[in-house]
Amino acid sequence: MYLVAHIDQAICSETACRLCTQYCPEANTILYDNAAKTAFVAVDRCKGCEICVGICDDLAKHHAIKMVMITDLENQFEMSREGFRPDHWDGKHS
Amino acid sequence: MSVKNISITPGWEKYMTKEYQDLVERGPYGKQKKVSEMGSFKEVLEEHPMCAGCAMTLFIRLTMVGLPNPEHTVLIGTAGCGRLALTQTSIPFIYGNYGDTNAVASGLKRGLEVRFKDQAKDVVVMAGDGGLADIGFSAVMHSWFRKERFTTIMLDNEVYGNTGGQESGMTERGALLKMAPKGKMFEKMDMMGLAQTAGVAYIARLTPTNPTRVASVVRKAVMIAREVGPTFIQAYTSCNIEYAIPTPKVLDDAREIEAKRYGFTEIISDEAKAYLDSIDTSKKVKK
Repeated sequence: MYLVAHIDQAICSETACRLCTQYCPEANTILYDNAAKTAFVAVDRCKGCEICVGICDDLAKHHAIKMVMITDLENQFEMSREGFRPDHWDGKHS
Repeated sequence: MSVKNISITPGWEKYMTKEYQDLVERGPYGKQKKVSEMGSFKEVLEEHPMCAGCAMTLFIRLTMVGLPNPEHTVLIGTAGCGRLALTQTSIPFIYGNYGDTNAVASGLKRGLEVRFKDQAKDVVVMAGDGGLADIGFSAVMHSWFRKERFTTIMLDNEVYGNTGGQESGMTERGALLKMAPKGKMFEKMDMMGLAQTAGVAYIARLTPTNPTRVASVVRKAVMIAREVGPTFIQAYTSCNIEYAIPTPKVLDDAREIEAKRYGFTEIISDEAKAYLDSIDTSKKVKK
Protein backbone atom coordinates (compact mmCIF):
# COMPACT_ATOMS: atom_id res chain seq x y z
CA MET A 1 0.00 0.00 0.00
CA TYR A 2 1.05 3.60 -0.30
CA LEU A 3 0.66 7.02 1.28
CA VAL A 4 -1.46 9.84 -0.07
CA ALA A 5 -2.03 13.37 1.18
CA HIS A 6 -5.01 13.89 3.41
CA ILE A 7 -6.37 17.28 4.42
CA ASP A 8 -7.98 17.88 7.80
CA GLN A 9 -11.00 19.84 6.67
CA ALA A 10 -11.81 21.19 10.12
CA ILE A 11 -8.49 23.07 10.14
CA CYS A 12 -8.52 23.92 6.43
CA SER A 13 -12.02 25.40 6.37
CA GLU A 14 -11.02 27.99 8.97
CA THR A 15 -8.44 29.45 6.61
CA ALA A 16 -8.65 30.52 3.00
CA CYS A 17 -4.99 30.26 2.02
CA ARG A 18 -5.36 27.81 -0.91
CA LEU A 19 -1.58 27.50 -1.10
CA CYS A 20 -1.56 23.70 -1.47
CA THR A 21 -3.74 23.94 -4.59
CA GLN A 22 -1.10 26.21 -6.16
CA TYR A 23 2.02 24.28 -5.20
CA CYS A 24 0.86 20.73 -6.02
CA PRO A 25 2.76 19.61 -9.14
CA GLU A 26 -0.14 17.48 -10.35
CA ALA A 27 -3.05 19.07 -12.20
CA ASN A 28 -6.48 19.01 -10.52
CA THR A 29 -5.25 16.86 -7.65
CA ILE A 30 -5.72 19.15 -4.67
CA LEU A 31 -9.13 20.62 -5.36
CA TYR A 32 -10.90 23.47 -3.65
CA ASP A 33 -14.50 23.23 -2.56
CA ASN A 34 -15.80 26.81 -2.60
CA ALA A 35 -19.04 25.88 -0.81
CA ALA A 36 -17.38 24.12 2.13
CA LYS A 37 -14.34 26.45 1.95
CA THR A 38 -11.84 23.64 2.13
CA ALA A 39 -9.27 21.90 -0.01
CA PHE A 40 -9.42 18.14 -0.55
CA VAL A 41 -7.40 15.54 -2.41
CA ALA A 42 -8.30 13.44 -5.44
CA VAL A 43 -6.55 10.32 -4.14
CA ASP A 44 -6.30 8.60 -7.51
CA ARG A 45 -4.12 11.45 -8.79
CA CYS A 46 -1.90 11.94 -5.74
CA LYS A 47 1.63 10.67 -6.31
CA GLY A 48 2.60 11.10 -2.65
CA CYS A 49 5.42 13.62 -3.07
CA GLU A 50 4.59 15.45 0.21
CA ILE A 51 5.22 18.91 -1.24
CA CYS A 52 1.81 20.02 0.06
CA VAL A 53 2.70 18.85 3.58
CA GLY A 54 5.76 21.10 3.59
CA ILE A 55 3.75 24.00 2.18
CA CYS A 56 0.98 23.64 4.78
CA ASP A 57 3.42 23.19 7.69
CA ASP A 58 6.18 25.67 6.85
CA LEU A 59 4.67 28.28 4.54
CA ALA A 60 1.03 28.46 5.64
CA LYS A 61 1.70 27.15 9.20
CA HIS A 62 -1.70 25.47 9.38
CA HIS A 63 -0.54 21.87 9.79
CA ALA A 64 -3.67 20.53 8.12
CA ILE A 65 -2.12 18.02 5.69
CA LYS A 66 -0.82 14.60 6.70
CA MET A 67 0.28 11.59 4.69
CA VAL A 68 -1.98 8.59 5.35
CA MET A 69 -2.27 5.02 4.04
CA ILE A 70 -4.76 4.96 1.24
CA THR A 71 -6.45 1.91 2.82
CA ASP A 72 -7.17 3.93 5.98
CA LEU A 73 -9.26 6.50 4.12
CA GLU A 74 -13.02 6.44 4.02
CA ASN A 75 -15.22 8.34 1.60
CA GLN A 76 -12.23 9.47 -0.45
CA PHE A 77 -12.63 11.41 -3.67
CA GLU A 78 -11.57 9.77 -6.91
CA MET A 79 -11.44 11.96 -9.98
CA SER A 80 -11.65 9.06 -12.43
CA ARG A 81 -14.96 7.96 -10.88
CA GLU A 82 -16.69 11.26 -10.21
CA GLY A 83 -15.12 13.68 -12.66
CA PHE A 84 -14.58 17.37 -12.09
CA ARG A 85 -18.01 18.51 -10.90
CA PRO A 86 -17.65 21.37 -8.38
CA ASP A 87 -21.46 21.73 -8.09
CA HIS A 88 -21.69 18.27 -6.54
CA TRP A 89 -18.86 18.52 -4.01
CA ASP A 90 -20.38 20.56 -1.20
CA GLY A 91 -18.16 19.20 1.55
CA LYS A 92 -19.15 15.61 0.95
CA HIS A 93 -15.61 14.28 0.66
CA SER A 94 -13.14 13.52 3.37
CA MET B 1 -6.86 25.86 -32.23
CA SER B 2 -9.92 27.71 -31.06
CA VAL B 3 -12.71 27.08 -28.60
CA LYS B 4 -14.80 25.86 -31.51
CA ASN B 5 -12.31 23.09 -32.22
CA ILE B 6 -12.34 21.98 -28.60
CA SER B 7 -16.12 21.98 -28.06
CA ILE B 8 -17.99 18.75 -28.68
CA THR B 9 -20.30 18.28 -31.67
CA PRO B 10 -23.90 18.28 -30.32
CA GLY B 11 -25.14 14.74 -29.75
CA TRP B 12 -21.68 13.27 -29.29
CA GLU B 13 -21.19 14.27 -25.64
CA LYS B 14 -21.82 10.78 -24.26
CA TYR B 15 -19.08 9.29 -26.42
CA MET B 16 -16.44 11.64 -25.07
CA THR B 17 -14.48 10.85 -21.90
CA LYS B 18 -15.53 12.44 -18.63
CA GLU B 19 -12.27 14.40 -18.49
CA TYR B 20 -12.91 15.92 -21.90
CA GLN B 21 -16.48 16.92 -21.07
CA ASP B 22 -15.25 18.55 -17.86
CA LEU B 23 -12.60 20.45 -19.79
CA VAL B 24 -15.09 21.86 -22.29
CA GLU B 25 -17.60 22.84 -19.61
CA ARG B 26 -15.31 23.92 -16.78
CA GLY B 27 -12.03 24.62 -18.52
CA PRO B 28 -10.06 27.89 -18.50
CA TYR B 29 -11.44 29.15 -21.80
CA GLY B 30 -12.88 32.57 -22.45
CA LYS B 31 -11.73 34.25 -19.27
CA GLN B 32 -8.18 34.44 -17.95
CA LYS B 33 -7.98 32.24 -14.85
CA LYS B 34 -5.94 33.33 -11.86
CA VAL B 35 -3.49 31.25 -9.87
CA SER B 36 -5.66 31.82 -6.80
CA GLU B 37 -8.51 30.01 -8.56
CA MET B 38 -6.52 26.81 -9.05
CA GLY B 39 -8.36 23.77 -7.78
CA SER B 40 -11.71 25.29 -8.76
CA PHE B 41 -11.46 24.98 -12.54
CA LYS B 42 -10.50 22.16 -14.85
CA GLU B 43 -6.93 22.66 -15.99
CA VAL B 44 -5.72 22.10 -19.55
CA LEU B 45 -3.04 19.80 -18.14
CA GLU B 46 -4.20 16.24 -17.48
CA GLU B 47 -2.61 13.33 -15.65
CA HIS B 48 0.90 12.66 -16.93
CA PRO B 49 3.76 10.23 -16.33
CA MET B 50 6.31 12.66 -14.85
CA CYS B 51 8.00 11.77 -11.55
CA ALA B 52 6.33 12.49 -8.22
CA GLY B 53 7.24 15.89 -6.79
CA CYS B 54 8.96 17.15 -9.95
CA ALA B 55 9.50 20.91 -9.90
CA MET B 56 9.31 20.94 -13.69
CA THR B 57 5.79 19.57 -13.51
CA LEU B 58 4.83 22.33 -11.12
CA PHE B 59 6.32 24.93 -13.45
CA ILE B 60 4.50 23.49 -16.48
CA ARG B 61 1.22 23.42 -14.57
CA LEU B 62 1.63 27.09 -13.61
CA THR B 63 2.65 27.99 -17.17
CA MET B 64 -0.60 26.53 -18.48
CA VAL B 65 -2.52 28.80 -16.10
CA GLY B 66 -0.44 31.78 -17.21
CA LEU B 67 -1.10 31.37 -20.95
CA PRO B 68 -3.35 34.25 -22.03
CA ASN B 69 -5.26 32.20 -24.61
CA PRO B 70 -4.67 28.45 -24.29
CA GLU B 71 -7.17 27.86 -27.12
CA HIS B 72 -5.05 29.92 -29.52
CA THR B 73 -1.68 28.52 -28.52
CA VAL B 74 0.62 25.93 -30.05
CA LEU B 75 3.31 24.29 -27.95
CA ILE B 76 6.56 23.04 -29.38
CA GLY B 77 8.85 20.73 -27.47
CA THR B 78 11.42 18.10 -28.05
CA ALA B 79 12.92 15.01 -26.43
CA GLY B 80 13.28 15.50 -22.70
CA CYS B 81 11.22 15.29 -19.55
CA GLY B 82 8.99 18.29 -20.24
CA ARG B 83 7.23 16.77 -23.22
CA LEU B 84 5.86 13.98 -21.00
CA ALA B 85 3.53 16.57 -19.45
CA LEU B 86 3.26 18.92 -22.44
CA THR B 87 1.76 16.14 -24.55
CA GLN B 88 -0.96 15.68 -21.91
CA THR B 89 -2.37 19.18 -22.34
CA SER B 90 -5.36 20.08 -24.48
CA ILE B 91 -3.07 22.39 -26.47
CA PRO B 92 -1.70 21.32 -29.86
CA PHE B 93 1.83 20.05 -29.33
CA ILE B 94 4.51 19.65 -31.98
CA TYR B 95 7.30 17.26 -31.18
CA GLY B 96 10.27 18.92 -32.87
CA ASN B 97 13.32 16.89 -33.68
CA TYR B 98 16.07 17.44 -31.16
CA GLY B 99 17.66 20.75 -32.03
CA ASP B 100 15.11 22.26 -34.38
CA THR B 101 12.40 23.48 -31.96
CA ASN B 102 13.03 27.17 -32.59
CA ALA B 103 13.37 26.66 -36.34
CA VAL B 104 10.00 24.87 -36.41
CA ALA B 105 8.49 27.60 -34.24
CA SER B 106 9.79 30.33 -36.58
CA GLY B 107 8.11 28.79 -39.61
CA LEU B 108 4.95 27.97 -37.73
CA LYS B 109 4.56 31.47 -36.32
CA ARG B 110 5.06 33.06 -39.74
CA GLY B 111 2.56 30.64 -41.26
CA LEU B 112 -0.02 31.33 -38.57
CA GLU B 113 0.35 35.08 -39.08
CA VAL B 114 -0.45 34.65 -42.78
CA ARG B 115 -3.31 32.21 -42.21
CA PHE B 116 -4.99 33.95 -39.24
CA LYS B 117 -4.78 37.68 -39.85
CA ASP B 118 -7.56 38.60 -37.39
CA GLN B 119 -6.67 36.29 -34.53
CA ALA B 120 -3.37 36.34 -32.67
CA LYS B 121 -1.92 32.86 -32.36
CA ASP B 122 0.74 32.23 -29.76
CA VAL B 123 3.65 29.88 -30.32
CA VAL B 124 5.47 28.72 -27.20
CA VAL B 125 8.60 26.59 -27.25
CA MET B 126 9.10 24.63 -24.02
CA ALA B 127 12.15 22.44 -23.91
CA GLY B 128 14.91 21.51 -21.53
CA ASP B 129 18.33 23.01 -21.06
CA GLY B 130 19.81 20.30 -23.27
CA GLY B 131 17.27 20.87 -26.03
CA LEU B 132 17.78 24.63 -26.11
CA ALA B 133 21.28 25.44 -24.87
CA ASP B 134 23.19 22.45 -26.26
CA ILE B 135 21.57 20.65 -29.14
CA GLY B 136 19.17 23.37 -30.25
CA PHE B 137 21.59 26.19 -29.57
CA SER B 138 22.08 27.46 -33.11
CA ALA B 139 18.36 27.43 -33.90
CA VAL B 140 17.64 29.28 -30.65
CA MET B 141 20.25 31.96 -31.29
CA HIS B 142 19.25 32.46 -34.91
CA SER B 143 15.57 32.74 -34.10
CA TRP B 144 16.47 35.47 -31.60
CA PHE B 145 18.69 37.33 -34.04
CA ARG B 146 15.92 37.16 -36.66
CA LYS B 147 13.51 38.61 -34.04
CA GLU B 148 10.99 35.82 -34.51
CA ARG B 149 7.88 36.59 -32.50
CA PHE B 150 7.42 33.63 -30.16
CA THR B 151 8.24 32.66 -26.60
CA THR B 152 11.07 30.32 -25.67
CA ILE B 153 10.81 28.76 -22.23
CA MET B 154 13.80 26.83 -20.95
CA LEU B 155 13.02 24.20 -18.32
CA ASP B 156 16.47 24.31 -16.78
CA ASN B 157 17.03 21.21 -14.65
CA GLU B 158 20.78 21.51 -15.18
CA VAL B 159 21.16 17.91 -16.35
CA TYR B 160 20.07 15.44 -19.04
CA GLY B 161 17.51 13.88 -16.72
CA ASN B 162 15.91 11.56 -19.22
CA THR B 163 19.03 9.72 -20.32
CA GLY B 164 20.76 9.01 -17.04
CA GLY B 165 22.39 12.20 -15.79
CA GLN B 166 24.87 13.59 -18.31
CA GLU B 167 26.09 17.16 -17.81
CA SER B 168 24.59 19.84 -20.02
CA GLY B 169 25.83 23.30 -20.90
CA MET B 170 23.60 24.65 -18.16
CA THR B 171 25.00 22.41 -15.41
CA GLU B 172 26.87 24.28 -12.68
CA ARG B 173 30.64 23.98 -12.63
CA GLY B 174 31.73 21.19 -10.30
CA ALA B 175 28.36 19.43 -10.21
CA LEU B 176 28.79 15.68 -9.65
CA LEU B 177 26.45 13.56 -11.72
CA LYS B 178 26.16 9.89 -12.62
CA MET B 179 27.60 10.51 -16.07
CA ALA B 180 29.90 13.33 -14.92
CA PRO B 181 31.70 11.51 -12.08
CA LYS B 182 34.62 13.94 -11.88
CA GLY B 183 32.32 16.94 -11.73
CA LYS B 184 31.60 19.32 -14.56
CA MET B 185 34.74 21.16 -15.59
CA PHE B 186 33.19 24.19 -17.31
CA GLU B 187 31.05 27.13 -16.30
CA LYS B 188 27.27 27.23 -16.67
CA MET B 189 26.29 28.91 -19.93
CA ASP B 190 25.04 32.46 -19.59
CA MET B 191 21.87 32.19 -21.65
CA MET B 192 20.49 35.42 -20.19
CA GLY B 193 23.54 37.31 -21.45
CA LEU B 194 23.31 35.66 -24.85
CA ALA B 195 19.63 36.57 -25.06
CA GLN B 196 20.47 40.17 -24.25
CA THR B 197 23.16 40.25 -26.91
CA ALA B 198 20.70 38.87 -29.44
CA GLY B 199 18.22 41.61 -28.58
CA VAL B 200 15.46 39.51 -27.02
CA ALA B 201 12.60 41.83 -26.02
CA TYR B 202 11.79 40.21 -22.68
CA ILE B 203 14.08 37.98 -20.64
CA ALA B 204 13.16 36.49 -17.28
CA ARG B 205 14.83 34.07 -14.91
CA LEU B 206 12.84 32.51 -12.11
CA THR B 207 12.12 29.45 -9.97
CA PRO B 208 8.68 27.97 -9.27
CA THR B 209 8.70 29.19 -5.65
CA ASN B 210 6.10 31.87 -6.36
CA PRO B 211 3.15 30.52 -8.42
CA THR B 212 1.58 33.93 -9.09
CA ARG B 213 4.87 35.26 -10.38
CA VAL B 214 5.34 32.30 -12.73
CA ALA B 215 1.90 32.82 -14.26
CA SER B 216 2.37 36.57 -14.63
CA VAL B 217 5.84 36.24 -16.20
CA VAL B 218 4.50 33.70 -18.72
CA ARG B 219 1.58 35.98 -19.54
CA LYS B 220 3.87 38.95 -20.08
CA ALA B 221 6.27 36.92 -22.23
CA VAL B 222 3.50 35.60 -24.46
CA MET B 223 1.85 39.01 -24.85
CA ILE B 224 5.15 40.69 -25.75
CA ALA B 225 5.96 37.92 -28.23
CA ARG B 226 2.68 38.66 -30.02
CA GLU B 227 3.57 42.23 -30.90
CA VAL B 228 7.16 43.11 -30.12
CA GLY B 229 9.69 40.33 -30.56
CA PRO B 230 11.24 37.18 -29.15
CA THR B 231 10.92 36.47 -25.43
CA PHE B 232 12.87 34.09 -23.23
CA ILE B 233 12.14 32.58 -19.83
CA GLN B 234 14.77 30.56 -18.02
CA ALA B 235 13.23 28.56 -15.19
CA TYR B 236 15.03 26.52 -12.56
CA THR B 237 13.15 23.24 -12.40
CA SER B 238 15.32 20.89 -10.36
CA CYS B 239 15.62 17.21 -11.23
CA ASN B 240 14.96 15.51 -7.91
CA ILE B 241 16.11 12.14 -9.30
CA GLU B 242 19.52 13.07 -10.72
CA TYR B 243 20.31 15.58 -7.98
CA ALA B 244 18.92 13.21 -5.29
CA ILE B 245 16.56 15.73 -3.67
CA PRO B 246 13.90 14.06 -1.46
CA THR B 247 10.50 15.09 -2.85
CA PRO B 248 9.31 16.91 0.32
CA LYS B 249 12.46 19.09 0.01
CA VAL B 250 12.03 20.04 -3.67
CA LEU B 251 10.69 23.51 -2.95
CA ASP B 252 13.19 24.07 -0.12
CA ASP B 253 15.91 23.35 -2.66
CA ALA B 254 14.31 25.75 -5.15
CA ARG B 255 14.21 28.48 -2.48
CA GLU B 256 17.82 27.84 -1.55
CA ILE B 257 19.05 27.97 -5.16
CA GLU B 258 16.92 31.05 -5.76
CA ALA B 259 18.60 32.82 -2.86
CA LYS B 260 22.07 31.67 -3.87
CA ARG B 261 22.29 32.12 -7.64
CA TYR B 262 18.91 31.99 -9.36
CA GLY B 263 17.16 35.10 -8.11
CA PHE B 264 14.20 36.49 -10.04
CA THR B 265 15.51 38.71 -12.82
CA GLU B 266 13.56 40.49 -15.51
CA ILE B 267 15.17 42.30 -18.45
CA ILE B 268 12.67 44.14 -20.59
CA SER B 269 13.28 46.32 -23.63
CA ASP B 270 11.84 49.84 -23.81
CA GLU B 271 9.57 48.89 -26.69
CA ALA B 272 8.24 45.86 -24.81
CA LYS B 273 7.67 47.95 -21.70
CA ALA B 274 5.75 50.56 -23.69
CA TYR B 275 3.61 47.79 -25.20
CA LEU B 276 2.84 46.27 -21.78
CA ASP B 277 1.86 49.70 -20.46
CA SER B 278 -0.37 50.28 -23.48
CA ILE B 279 -2.33 47.04 -22.97
CA ASP B 280 -2.70 47.81 -19.28
CA THR B 281 -4.17 51.24 -19.92
CA SER B 282 -6.51 49.91 -22.61
CA LYS B 283 -7.90 47.50 -20.00
CA LYS B 284 -8.48 50.37 -17.58
CA VAL B 285 -10.33 52.37 -20.24
CA LYS B 286 -12.68 49.43 -20.90
CA LYS B 287 -13.64 49.21 -17.22
